[in-house]
Amino acid sequence: MTLTDQLLTAFSQYGLPLLFAVIMIAAAGIPLPITLMLVAAGSFVALGQMKFWQVIVVASAAAVLGDQIGYALGRWGGHQVAAQVSRKKAWATQMQRAENFARRWGGAGIFFSRWLVTPLGPWINLSSGMAAYPWTRFLCWDIVGEVLWVVLYVALGKLFSDRVQALVDILGDLAWVIVGLIAAVVLGWQLLRYARTSNAAERSRKTARAGA
Amino acid sequence: MKSFGWKQWTLLVAFVLVLLATGLFSVRTVRRAVYWRFHRDEPVRPWMSVPYVAHSYHVPPQVLYEALGIPHPPHDHRPIKEIAEEQNRSLDEVIATLQRAIARERVSPSPASPPTPATGRSP
Repeated sequence: MTLTDQLLTAFSQYGLPLLFAVIMIAAAGIPLPITLMLVAAGSFVALGQMKFWQVIVVASAAAVLGDQIGYALGRWGGHQVAAQVSRKKAWATQMQRAENFARRWGGAGIFFSRWLVTPLGPWINLSSGMAAYPWTRFLCWDIVGEVLWVVLYVALGKLFSDRVQALVDILGDLAWVIVGLIAAVVLGWQLLRYARTSNAAERSRKTARAGA
Repeated sequence: MKSFGWKQWTLLVAFVLVLLATGLFSVRTVRRAVYWRFHRDEPVRPWMSVPYVAHSYHVPPQVLYEALGIPHPPHDHRPIKEIAEEQNRSLDEVIATLQRAIARERVSPSPASPPTPATGRSP
């Protein structure tokens, strides 16, 4: 039996307390197939085995709590490492830039990594803590994003309750396609920026030589 | 253009790898979606309960309960792995029994059974 089968079998046996524990552990950074569990929970709701609102409350609370653990690890574990590193001048500038970036884009990053680009979620928790992103703002974006994630996947599971496994396979691949597209855009943009600056530098060198 | 340094080469290699991986996942997603569109049945897994298998295969649950010798009603929501352990049978054996019952039901539907299993109601 695969890990997924084992988790889902345990979920069928122990119900919501197990869902809470697994989602919290996964949100804190241990990779577990929680999307499948949420979709399966949706099918259990459709079969009258669980109540929709109970699943939403339990899963959202577990996800938010797990995210706070990730944030705390970044803030008090990672931030100390970052503080040590920041003593070197070059690193201090980099750290400052990272903090500024997190403060400027943190909200969107937290929100979208909760439900759209879910594989990035644990990393965003850690990096938000490390960059000392304000905790109340982190919590607000986190709650909104996690509730949306839980409602979305449980509703999908309820809607396609006869084909849970197939739906999860598609959703799992789709999540990685979205992550890949974002990474390709970021890397492509970096390459393009380098090509532009080096072209501009070459042109100015040529002009300078022609002038001499 | 100025020649690439090691940073730019790393970026370029990462960019190509990311594109390849994204392409691979896109193809897999489309293939799965196409398969999903044309094949309604999904394999029976150990975590599934008898009502879930009945719901997924669109057969009345009592057909499956009878095949496994489980009294019905009420609905037995235990995973089939647990049922197999209780009956001292292997999981494959239980899955094969369910699949045979599903095949029989599809060839000659039982007259007393409703067309679809009971779904969407609270216990």
